[in-house]
This record gives sequence, C-alpha cells and structure tokens, in this order.
Amino acid sequence: MSKTNFPGRLPVKQLFLLAIIFCYHSIAFSQETTTISGVVADSASNAPLPSVSVLVKGTARGTTTDANGKYSIKASSNSTLIFRSVGYGEKQITVGNQSVIDISLSTSNQNLDPVVVVAYGTQKKTSVTAAISTLNGDEIDAVPISNLSNAIVGRVSGVILKQGSGEPGRDQSSFLIRGISSTGSTQPLMVVDGIPRGFYALDPNTVESITILKDAAAVAPYGVAGANGVVLVTTKRGAKGTPALSYNGYIGFQNATVLSHYVNSYQFATLKNAAAKNDGLPPPYTNSDLQKYKDGSDPDAYPRGDFYKQIIKSNSILTNHDIELAGGNDQIKYYASFGYQHQGGMWSKTNSNRYNTSISLDAEATKTTKISFSVIGRVQKNAYSPAGAAYGLVATSLPIDAFQYSNGLPGNFAGAYFLNDGYSRNDITQIYSQLSVEQKIPFITGLTAKATVAYDPTIIMGKNWTTPIHIYSIDTTQHPYVYKDGILGTTKPSLSEQVSQAQQITFQGSLNYVKKLGKNRIGALALFETNAVNSQNLETGRKNYNLFLDEISMGGSSSGDITNSGSSAATRQLGLVYRVTYDYSSKYLFEASGRYDGSYFFAPGKRFGFFPAFSIGWRLSEENFIKKNLLWIDNLKVRASYGEAGALAGSAFQYLGTYAIASPAYAFNGNAVQGVNERSEPNPNITWERAKKTDVGLEATLWKGILKVEADYFHEKRSNMLVTPDVIVPSEYGIGLSQVNAGVMENKGVDFSVGSVYPISGDFEVSLTTNFTYAQNTLLQVFETTTTYNNPNRRITGKPLGTQFGFKSLGFFQLNDFDNNGNLKEGIAIQPWGKVLPGDIRYKDINNDGKINDDDLTKIGDPAIPQIIYGISPGLRYKGLSLDLLFQGAAKTNFYYVRQGAWPFHSSGSAFVEHLNYWTPENPNAKNPRITSAPTTNNTQVSSFWMQDASYVRLKSATLSYYLPLKVTEKIRIKNARIYISGQNILTWTRMINYDPENTNSLGPNYPPQKVISLGLNVTF
Amino acid sequence: MLFLILTSMLSCKKNFLDVTPKDQISDNTVWATTDNADLFLNSIYGSIPGPFNTFDPEENYSDDCMDGINPVRSRQIYANSVYTPSNAPTYWGVYSYIRKCNLFIEKVTASKLPGTWKQLRLAETRFLRAYLYMLLWTRYGGVPIITDVLNSSVQGDAIFRSRNTLDETFKFITDECAGAANDLPIKATVAGRVTKGAALALKGWCELFNASPLHNPDNNKTKWALAAATNKQVMDLNVYSLFPDYETMFYEENNNNVESIFAKAYLGGTSIGGSREGIQGPTFANGVQHAYGMINPSQEIVDSYSMANGLPIADPASGYDPQNPYVNREKRFYQSIVYDGSFWLGSEMLTRQGVGSKNQLDLSGGSGVTKTGYYLRKGLNPKYAVNGINMLNSASYMVFRYAEVLLSYAEAQNEAVGPDESVYQAINKVRIRSELPSLTAGLSQDQMRAEIRRERRVELAFEEKRWYDLIRWKIAEKSLNGSLHAMKIEQVNGQWVYSIIPAPGGGRTFYANKNYYWPIPQSAMDKNSKLIQNPNY
Repeated sequence: MSKTNFPGRLPVKQLFLLAIIFCYHSIAFSQETTTISGVVADSASNAPLPSVSVLVKGTARGTTTDANGKYSIKASSNSTLIFRSVGYGEKQITVGNQSVIDISLSTSNQNLDPVVVVAYGTQKKTSVTAAISTLNGDEIDAVPISNLSNAIVGRVSGVILKQGSGEPGRDQSSFLIRGISSTGSTQPLMVVDGIPRGFYALDPNTVESITILKDAAAVAPYGVAGANGVVLVTTKRGAKGTPALSYNGYIGFQNATVLSHYVNSYQFATLKNAAAKNDGLPPPYTNSDLQKYKDGSDPDAYPRGDFYKQIIKSNSILTNHDIELAGGNDQIKYYASFGYQHQGGMWSKTNSNRYNTSISLDAEATKTTKISFSVIGRVQKNAYSPAGAAYGLVATSLPIDAFQYSNGLPGNFAGAYFLNDGYSRNDITQIYSQLSVEQKIPFITGLTAKATVAYDPTIIMGKNWTTPIHIYSIDTTQHPYVYKDGILGTTKPSLSEQVSQAQQITFQGSLNYVKKLGKNRIGALALFETNAVNSQNLETGRKNYNLFLDEISMGGSSSGDITNSGSSAATRQLGLVYRVTYDYSSKYLFEASGRYDGSYFFAPGKRFGFFPAFSIGWRLSEENFIKKNLLWIDNLKVRASYGEAGALAGSAFQYLGTYAIASPAYAFNGNAVQGVNERSEPNPNITWERAKKTDVGLEATLWKGILKVEADYFHEKRSNMLVTPDVIVPSEYGIGLSQVNAGVMENKGVDFSVGSVYPISGDFEVSLTTNFTYAQNTLLQVFETTTTYNNPNRRITGKPLGTQFGFKSLGFFQLNDFDNNGNLKEGIAIQPWGKVLPGDIRYKDINNDGKINDDDLTKIGDPAIPQIIYGISPGLRYKGLSLDLLFQGAAKTNFYYVRQGAWPFHSSGSAFVEHLNYWTPENPNAKNPRITSAPTTNNTQVSSFWMQDASYVRLKSATLSYYLPLKVTEKIRIKNARIYISGQNILTWTRMINYDPENTNSLGPNYPPQKVISLGLNVTF
Repeated sequence: MLFLILTSMLSCKKNFLDVTPKDQISDNTVWATTDNADLFLNSIYGSIPGPFNTFDPEENYSDDCMDGINPVRSRQIYANSVYTPSNAPTYWGVYSYIRKCNLFIEKVTASKLPGTWKQLRLAETRFLRAYLYMLLWTRYGGVPIITDVLNSSVQGDAIFRSRNTLDETFKFITDECAGAANDLPIKATVAGRVTKGAALALKGWCELFNASPLHNPDNNKTKWALAAATNKQVMDLNVYSLFPDYETMFYEENNNNVESIFAKAYLGGTSIGGSREGIQGPTFANGVQHAYGMINPSQEIVDSYSMANGLPIADPASGYDPQNPYVNREKRFYQSIVYDGSFWLGSEMLTRQGVGSKNQLDLSGGSGVTKTGYYLRKGLNPKYAVNGINMLNSASYMVFRYAEVLLSYAEAQNEAVGPDESVYQAINKVRIRSELPSLTAGLSQDQMRAEIRRERRVELAFEEKRWYDLIRWKIAEKSLNGSLHAMKIEQVNGQWVYSIIPAPGGGRTFYANKNYYWPIPQSAMDKNSKLIQNPNY
C-alpha cells in the first residue's frame, strides 16, 4: 500500500500548534490592558453625547456613553477605539499611553476618507475619479475556502465569477471583470503588491485588501494588459505598535454541493430492457436478473451499483492555520506570517497541502529614505488519483459491474483505478520577492523617486506513477465464485516526471510629485516598468519497471522505454506610465493617466502603443448649496471617465511566417524521422486589441454613513479585436490563417453596490450590503459566413458572444401525429435524421418549408457565462456575537446538457435517475424522449430540449462568530479571542439537476464545488 | 537614486522586446538543403491517413463489420444514412495535405537543390498528392483540382475554385501517377518510400474504380482493359510476390515484405505508434478489457469465408453445417475472426448466452461488447492487445499489396476479355497461398465475376477495401439496406442452438439516389460559392 495522507491525523497537529502558541504567549507577548475613560461631545456645541458606541477595534469589547457622555473601557496601548453614533461621523483613536481620551464627534464627515489602492499608488477614496471596488481582507479571513478567487463572488460589484470545480488545487473560479468584451482572452490582469502576479494561492489571512479596477481611468496605466480589468491585491504589512501575535485557524468539513444521481443496477437493467423493447431487440436482462439486482442478495454477481457510497468520502477535511506577528516603531515595521492549509478530496488520493509564508520589513533608513522588503512564499503539494478525471470514471462506470467485490478486490474500471497504487502529483514552489527604495528629493518639496525590483521564481515538479491496473472478473459458473485476476493495460509500471521553471523579473522606476497651492492640489506620477519572464521545462519518462520503485533511474532501459523532452520560452513587456491629478478645493477633480506600452508579441514596428485615459469628478457635497441645506448628504460625487486600454488577446508571434517541427513525423524502415510543417499563414500587421471604455458613476454617503451607494454605467467598445478570418478563404485553402485585427465588440451594463450599517445601540448593529452586476456584450463585427449572416435567426453578429443556437423543440411526437401506417401525418415537417417514432423530439419548422434543416436553427439560449450576478449580505452584531450572511446569485444564463451529461447510455455509459421518466404512450408528457439502447441522431440534435436555465441563488457563505467576553480573556491573559462557525456554498436554489449550477463542463459531470462547514478560532495574544 | 532610474532606462535597449521563438524554423532554412527539405516531405508522408488505426474505421461503413460501441459516426450517422451536409463524415480536410504537396513542389522546383534529388522527391510528392485526390474523387466525384499554393493576398478571388468534372479529376490522378512512375525507382533505397509500383498500383486502382458500374454504366470494355493493363504492369515489374503467411504478413516484423507495395508506417512506443489492437480488437479476454471492440465482423463476412475444400458455404456440396458453423472453414477464417469457442490471449472467447461470459453477444446494443457474436483477429498482434489508444504497434498499414493487384487484374481482365488463363492464374495465386484449391476450369464470365468478388471480399477483409467495392460495383443500395446479422448461440432444451438474428444496432440504410457520393461539407459550401453540392443533398 502506498502511503496516503490521512486527514484524521490533523487535529493532533492543530493541537500541537495551539500548544506552542499558548506557550509563547505566556512567556513573552502578554500585554496588559488598562482602563481608558473619557467624555464624548458634539464638536459644534460641545454638548456631551449620550449613547455613543465605543468599541475596541477588532474585538467584541464595547460600551456606550452614559447620559453625560462618559464612558470607560478596558484596552491595551496598541488598540484602537472606534466611536460611532447615529448622525455623526465615525472616529478612530489609537490608545497609546493615554488613559483619558476625550473626543468630539462632528456631524460632518471629513474623517471618513479611507485610502484606496490604485494603479501604481494609492489615493484618497474621495478624490478617486475612476471606477473601482474594494474588498477588505478581514471580510474573508473566516470563510472556509482554499482558493482566494472563490471568496470574491457576490462581495464586490463588477466581477463575474464561476467556480466550475471543487477539486483540490484545481478549484479556482473563472474571473471576469464586467463580463466579456472580447472573443479572445478575457482574463483580467492580476497584480500583487504592485507587481503582475497571480493571487489565487495567497493565504487569505495575509490579504489586506482586494481592489478591482474597472474603467479606463483605473486600468489605462496597465496599457496593453489592462483592457480586461485589473485585480490589485495588497498584502498585510507591519504597523507601529508593540508586537501583536495572533492565530487564526479553522477546521472545516467538505461535501459535494450536488452529486449526479446515476441509476442503480436494478434501474439500469429495467431501463435497458425497456430500451431493447423499443429497438425491437430481446430483453437483455431476465426477471431473475432484475430480482437479484433489486434485492442485492448476490452482491458480487449482481451488485447494487451505488458506487458513490464506496468512493466518496463524506466530510473530507479543509483546514487552515495561520500565525502572524506584526509590529514596529517609527523606524522599522515588520510583519511575518506562516499559514498551513490542508484540503482533502472527495476520495482519499486527492488532496492538497499548502504552506504560505510572508515576511515584510519597512524601514525609514534615513529621514528621506524608505526601504521596503518583502518575501511571500508558497509551497503547494497537490495529489490526485492516477486516473486523471476521477469523477468522469464514476460517470462512465456501469452499475451492473461491481466496484469492489465483497472480498475487497476491484471489480470494474473505476474500482481498479481508485484502488490501485499509482498517483499523480505536482508540487509548486513559488516566491514573490521585492525590494523597493523610496527617496524624497531634498531640494524639491513633494518630489519622491522610487525604484522597485521584484524577482519571482516558480518551480513546478510533476510526478505521475502508473501501476498495472488489476481488474478481477468473477466466474459465476463455479461455486463459490472464482475471482480471476486480469490486467487492464500495460503489465508493468511507468513513471513520468516534469520540471517546469519560470522566473519573472519586474523593474519599476518612478517619480512622484505632489504639491498644494492654496486650493489647488496637483499630483504627478511618471513610471517606467519592464517585465520579463523566462520559462523552461523538462520532461522525462520511463516504462516497464520491473520493481515497484518510483524513481526514474529504476525504469526500463531499452530505447523504447525512455522518453525525454524539453522546451523554453520568454515574454517581454515594457512601458512608460504617467498620471496627472488636479483638484480644486477637493471639489473639482481632474485626472489624466495612461501608458506608452510595448510587447514582444508583434513585429518590430508594431510593438508600441499609447493608451490614454481622462476622468473628472465633481463632489457636489462640497458645494455650499448642499453643505448648507442638505445636511443628510455626507458625500456625493459624480464622476466620468473615458480612455483606452489594450489587450493581447491571441497568441504571440503570429507575425512570423515560419515552420514548426514535429517529432516524430513518420518512420522509414522502422526509424523515426522528424518533420516540419507550415504554421498558420502569418499576419505581419497584427497588433493589439483596443478597448475604448466609458464610465459614468455616482458615489454617495448619506445620513452619516448609514447608507453608502456606488453605481456605475459602463460601455466598452473593443475594436481591432483579434478574429480568425477563416471564412474569407475556402476550405480548400489548406492552411489556417493568423488572426487579424478586424473584430468589433461592444459590452455595456451597470454595476452598483448599496450598503448600510445601522448602529441601533453600542451593543447592537445591523447591516445590509448588496451588489449587482449586469453586463451584456454584442458582437458588432466578426467573420461570419453568408449562410448564417443572411438568416436573422442564425446571425451571430449583433448577438452576445456565446449565444447558443439550435433547433426549437416542440416536445415529443405523440401517437396522434402518425397515421395508421405509422407514417407522419401530412403537414408535419420532415426531420432528416432517420424515421421518427412517437416519443422522439419534434423540432419547430421555423421557415415553414415542410422540412427541418439548418435553416431552422435559431437562438435557443443565453451564453453559459451569466450576464447578471449579484450578492446580498445581511449582517447583525449583538455584543460579542455577530452573524454575516452572503446570498449570491446569477441570472440570464443557460446551460446546455450534452452527451454523457444528458443522454442515457451515451457512449455505452450509464443513465441518470432522471432518465427513468421517459416517454411512453402512457407517459406522453415525460421529461425525456422514448428510451433507446443508444441515443438516436434525431434526439441528440442541438436543441432547446436539452437547454436549461442555469440561474441560481445560493447561500454562498455564512459566519456566526462570538468574541469571548473580557472577563474570560483577561483570565487566560490574552487580548481577545473569537470563535466562529462558518460555511461556504451552504444552500442552493436552482433548476439545474445533476450538476452544480456553476459547472462549466457541459460534456458531463465535473468535480462539484464543495459545501463546507467549519469551526474556527481567532486569538490575539 | 535618480541616476539609478535613468541608467536603468537607458540600459534597457531597444532590443529588449526581441524574443525569438525557439520552436520555429525560417523559410530559408527549410528549403536550403536536401536534408532540410526532406523534413517537410516526411510530414507529408505522415499526413497520409492511416484509416484503420482510427477510433471508428471506415470499414464499419461497409457490410463486413460494425462498430461495437455507440455513438460513433459509422453507426449513428452513416449506417442509417441520416447524414446531411452538416453532419456527414468528411474527407475535405485532405486539402490541407494537398497544400503541403503543392508547397513542396513549388519550393523544390524553384530551388537550386540537386537535380536528381529533385526529380525523385517531386515524383514521390506527386504520387502522394494523387493518392489524396483519389480519396476525394472516390467519395465526392469531381473536386477542385488545386496544384498551386493558394495565397489570398496575391491571388484575390482566384483562390475560390469550382469543381472539376469526374473525368478531369480521374485524368489528373492517373496522369500524375503515370508521370511519377517514370521518375520513381522500382525499389526504394529506403524501405517505405514511394516506388514505381506504388504509382502504378494507384493508377490501376483508379482505372478499376473508373471502369466499374458506378462510373461505367455502359460497360465500356476499353475502361476495363486500361485497368487490366496497368495492373499487369505492376505484375510485370517482377518485384512483388505473395508473402507466404497470411496471418503474420500484417505484423511489424514483416513490414515492407515482398507483397507490400505502399504502406503507411507506424512506430510503436511513440506518438506515431499504431493502436489497432487496443481499438479494434476483442473487448474482453481473461475477464479484463483489452480493446474497445470497435470492429465487430458481421455474419455476412463470416458467411463469405469458404469451406476448407474451397467451396462457398452456400454450395450444398460444401459440407457446411449451420448448427456447427465454425468447423472445416478455410484458413483465412481462423486467421481473421474471433468466434465463439476460439481463443484470444489464451482466453476462451465465449459469445454464447447464459454462461456469465463478459463477451456474451450484447443484445441490448448499448455496451462495448460484440454486437455480432464476432470480434476481429486479422492483423492484430496479440502482444499489443492493450486496451485503448496504446500506440504500441509498429506494424505498417498496407495501402496497396500485391494480392489486391492480382485480384484487380483478374477482375478487369475478366470484364474486358472474359475468364482467360491469366485470370485463373491471378486469382488462383491468392487462393493457393491460403491452401485453397484452384478454381475449376470453364467458369462463365458471370461465375468468374462472382468468384472474384467473393475472393476479393475475403482476402482484403478489414483492409478498408470493401466499402469502395460496394460503391463502385453499385451494389451498396442492396448490401447496405436492411440489417447486418449476428450469431446468437443459446441453450434450448439442453442443446446449443445457433441462430442468425439481426445484429443489435446493425441497421443499414442507403439511398441510391444520393448516397453513392458523399455530400460536400456545409462548412466548405458556405465558404466557397463556386462549389456545387452533390445531387439530392
């Protein structure tokens, strides 16, 4: 038996970890709390304010001011007090060494101006003129997810995500910012701490914020990489204060959100008999067979066929543990964290272990020089069954074959794969390291120069060990039964190993200038950036192992047993970024930004482009007519932006007309020879796609922060879109053409978020935030054949990308559609795929020409990517108890069921329970056509029959948490502690059956996303 | 600090963005030397379709076999004749290989490479191109004959070509073969390259096709005579003979044997390895799946094998016993078919009902097990019986072998002048190799035709020849209508009873008014308005 990682051990590890943490705490980091008291008053009248809630930030500790505005609360020196009252702006004060803190609250809202991360810098939220949305890291650190992308959906406006799989290490969501604007790549740019990098595998606990850049003003500084939007992730850094050590960890239990319901052996045999009858064949199963499948009296010869029970582990573990230490003084701030995550799979061979670490230092080296250094590292080890798509194996196994016999031997395909010793693993080691130096230029006030260099190496090691697959057959003519060993496939093991490496080097040099002249404020940024990635991979394999030793050097040594291959590649980008901001009196805001950008993708002379953007903002709330008259408006800003961004939508080097080598291409006299082939016909003029983006937005904060609204209308026109002009040459042309910049696509929609936090008292607070995104694209110009273009029903141009076409189903042919001779009655359109019978799918003759053919194709469904996505998050907090829910949904999307995912006995496969409801004369309104031994051509045409509305609403996550009362935390000498119960994908409402509504694999069942319920603990020492 | 920024900006030279992809070769390099240019021709050789190695061999379009599993094109689309231009099987894609040939011919002709090398390689390429056109011509009739390298930016609308006629296409193919044959060697210096015999065999085959009833409704004897003469030319080269062992002739150790005229090569253990055992072979052996079972021989082909005494089973004197059908059959039957009670991989293959065999005839029509009671044996090397696309086998797929030339000659000569001595000699050579007695003398032309057709069907079974024969003899409307048949063996009153039943999923439909030609794919029609669709599609 191979060694498997048994998650049952993990709690021991966790306890050990906790023990260490507690030891540490009692030795070093214990922090005394002192009592702070004071009076809260109105800033205008100086009158004391009763019922103001006073909270220690990040804890459950809170109190309320009395009738005289007095309060008293216990807090440590590095904690922050938050003062909130209905009708007043919030105020936050760091305790330090004060014991008396008297403060005044203002009805104005000046303090409410957080700083947000933007391209190559930060800005005050109120002065931003671009469309961005932000998610704070602390909103997601209790959510039991393994991949950070799965925490975002429903939490911010403007993003459309779909988590197609829940398989450990492969469960990232597809990520779209404001939908789809191109037929090519729609992948947004991902940036971590200012450098282009993936963020999916970051430890959620180390994330400070996630910012989504949506409009041209926000993305233009990223030039050719910005058109699909940008995700900026900022990781945590140290802050001034005594060292703070904290632990956050949870253990969760995963189960599939939905499993496909396959028939059991009895249902299978019954269905097969019915199908055989319809096909005029004798019944393959006798009554005695049926009885034995039904009663399970002879499970080895007549298994019940419910593999799921034998394969799928329920409650597989997802657990995450983090320790972080942060602190600093005026000169040096530090942050360090270590995280461990284990994610079990639905079966024992599949799992993922991840180790994350993050270290950062910020030092004021001189009065004018700041040096920042950080290293973020990750080691991730994914392990899978050697069968590849294990879930698919279950789907293709027949329930009449035993998965595993009563004596433990494997009986069928799936059983043999799941029970054998092979494995498929990949280990990823990735480091994000960066150093930056920021220098204030002494002789020009407001001018800063900064240089950053980042070096990010990644190494992925893959190892696949395949051992012979033993399947036992059962000889039922002998009693007791005899189990005979047989080997499926090769009789000796084989091994392959891959090493791929990539090194990304990014350099940024910038000058930043800020100047205030009276009411005029000017800012300017100029930045130069280069980015280079070099990658290499090597692969080697051996076959015919005599010994079960999974090392390359132990494999067979004849030339046929050995394979080796390798390759390398490189990418380059360089750009000049600028941004100029100007505001007058914080009221009128102007910004111009952009980039002059170059990429290696294209021919010399076609490599550089300029992408400018302009935006304006008007803060109406700063105008006297509002300031004086409409006191309930704290902040009201309208803004607009227009600009361009680029996209490298296709593949590189399409400008080159070259030949590619194929090896081996052929064999002469038993010797392999290489070959060369033409690549596609080159396009020397190819260049980037251009996105012209317009955005109009409104931001408002009303009633002293009780209501916050941010809404945007957006419009994008993607021109120069890369499309393959294959329709302009005949099929006889004989070679593919390179893409050309000839497509045009429009994408428009709205996104908004509305949030409200209502403190009913210092102890009780309710909140509700919602966000909504609607994005609809239209193909304005693509290459389309005249055949589809000239038929308005089939025309692709003018419809959203991915609009699904097919025949319109009219339900089934019924008995009375046929005359006494079994022929279709006059006037019913003839279908060309063989003779139809009652119970076959009838299609609509759209052009009424009496026959069904391609001219009757029409739109039958919306694209598989939802056009509407939304989230609703109600929350409430009472004293130390809080509950946060997230309902998330999607609409205007269709899912097309096809092949083994839709049809019974497709490809000699099994059937779903759903298929038991098939057409018969007695069941004319069945859900499925008449049953046949194999799907018929007529019933498998692309049609609305197999199309399903894939809208859904789900309780995406819920967290119930409780802060231990001060009495308790003081006794155990910790600053604060929180326990929580949390969940992900808890409940789902949808019309989809057999699959999760976020499934992206229309060909059959996928590893479903997981429903996770977890229990967590968060302690600060 | 500023200095650092400035120097770094300056040091970043203009060529920072110059990245050369390392997996590509320039035009100049490819055509610079004969060795390099050979690499291009190698890939044309590699482009020749190796049909029998595919998931759903076109042999399943014939009445000799069916695919064991569904959904595959042969069963789902072709067998039921439910094809339209949108879903029909297609060969239109060979135009991409034709382009390769045209490019090679254009570049090599224009090059300064040595003349003898040029002459030889151009002839090889012309043969390969003619072979590709044969694939189109036999299926579609007349097709656009493209011999230049299409270039939309230079040629404009001239890249849209209309269909040449049936006769023009035929003439092009045979003229090219004749031209190539002049420049090709009788024996290739490297086994596997095109020879004179290959070019003549292709020419003779096209002439035979063209003389057959489909293209020769008036039975013009000169067409038959032409076919006979060309096939005779191959015989007269005196380099080919029949390989003594019909069973192992198809194994890799006998690649390029004396009978092989032109073959598609495979190399086991590489991405160009053959997988016919894992795809086409018997599904289960020793209780474990060893192949997808994608060729299930029909009762029709089984009944075509004669008895060991050389008589067809329909002959009352043959001694055939329908309740004991697998005894005393001719040698090729045992070399070609896995039947109930025979052995494969040391496992007794039982297709009979009720003994718990995994190979029991699948009456439900829906599993991967035999639908006819038979599996394929011919050409399958037991040592590569590894389930799936295993790419283990190095056995070549013989496109033309000498037995076919002999049978084609016999057929053409019998039609052109009647059953003369040379006809007997040709067919008897094939029979004698398989230990069958010579045909009795004095057969009429019609009797000889029947013998030749049966002999051809059996000898070339599962070599993707039968479908062409059904089409050219214009008998598909008869042979491909109704159902293929299976052998059901069940116990009745303690006796094993053999009964022939329609094979589950073995239905066949063929419309004589359209199905002798394939429809041009709709995607090709949509892009070239000059193309005219074949009738009744």
